[in-house]
Amino acid sequence: MLPPSRLLFRPLASAAVRPATQHILRPAAAFGTSSVFRQQQQQQLPNTPTTSAIQPATPTTTTTTTTTTATTTTTPAPLSHETLKLLPLLLSQPQHYITIHIHAFPFLVTAGDTVTLPFRLKGVTPGQTLRLTHASVLGSRDYTLKGAPYLDERLFRCHATVVAETAEPMRVKEKTKRRQRKIKKVKSKHVYTVLRIKEVVVRNPFVEGAVEQVDAL
Amino acid sequence: MSYFKITLIRSGIGMTKRQNGVLASLGLRKRMQTVYHRVSPDVAGKIMKVKELVAVSERERAESRAEIHKRRQPPCGFVVEA
Repeated sequence: MLPPSRLLFRPLASAAVRPATQHILRPAAAFGTSSVFRQQQQQQLPNTPTTSAIQPATPTTTTTTTTTTATTTTTPAPLSHETLKLLPLLLSQPQHYITIHIHAFPFLVTAGDTVTLPFRLKGVTPGQTLRLTHASVLGSRDYTLKGAPYLDERLFRCHATVVAETAEPMRVKEKTKRRQRKIKKVKSKHVYTVLRIKEVVVRNPFVEGAVEQVDAL
Repeated sequence: MSYFKITLIRSGIGMTKRQNGVLASLGLRKRMQTVYHRVSPDVAGKIMKVKELVAVSERERAESRAEIHKRRQPPCGFVVEA
């Protein structure tokens, strides 16, 4: 039996890495006047990498691409030609997993998983449906799509339901010192939010009639 | 109207009392904290006293603590739909 071919998509160039501009500048000769270094810094403003055009599915010249940044205001950059070529292969597979990020904590999940978060998720109540917006890896048995640092939102859809807010058993920490009879007891009983992943959908919106592969609970 | 953006890169633990005093006067309590001070000779002198511990750059605008916190906070990662 042939081993599964693991084709890794080329990671999209990260535009989120900020150049290390922190260094000691010599103060200007007269404080308060315009600084030579400030003028230099203004010329070195970071480039805004995003473009609005979406790459068509037909082969064109390969372009270097940039990623979607973490801020939601910027428009996502176009995907590379290689990514678009391999996306239908990822969609054709039956099962998918996704690494979602909640407050930057990663969770690798599939449809039907019950996730107990290691904290209480604020602003949600049991019964609500959440749409997860940040994911870094979307994969199947033979293919992996990696974002840098996050994936384009158009490529996936992931919904989860808030099942419950459950508490751990009460634990008591005894604080004392040697040869000291006094014992201080500190109680802890943290609350954790439980989510159930309802669906993991891989999408290909760059094709005629956007194609989806739905893994639902 | 320009500011020094000062970030504490090396901790003050184990440093001299003088250096820790300078860090306290700059308002730097923990590592990777960022503060803004108006460009002036006295602030420049303080930076020179702790120049091995900090990274400095010059900015037009000072960020408030709330703005720094908002910028550093990671994205929440979900949207409540129903």
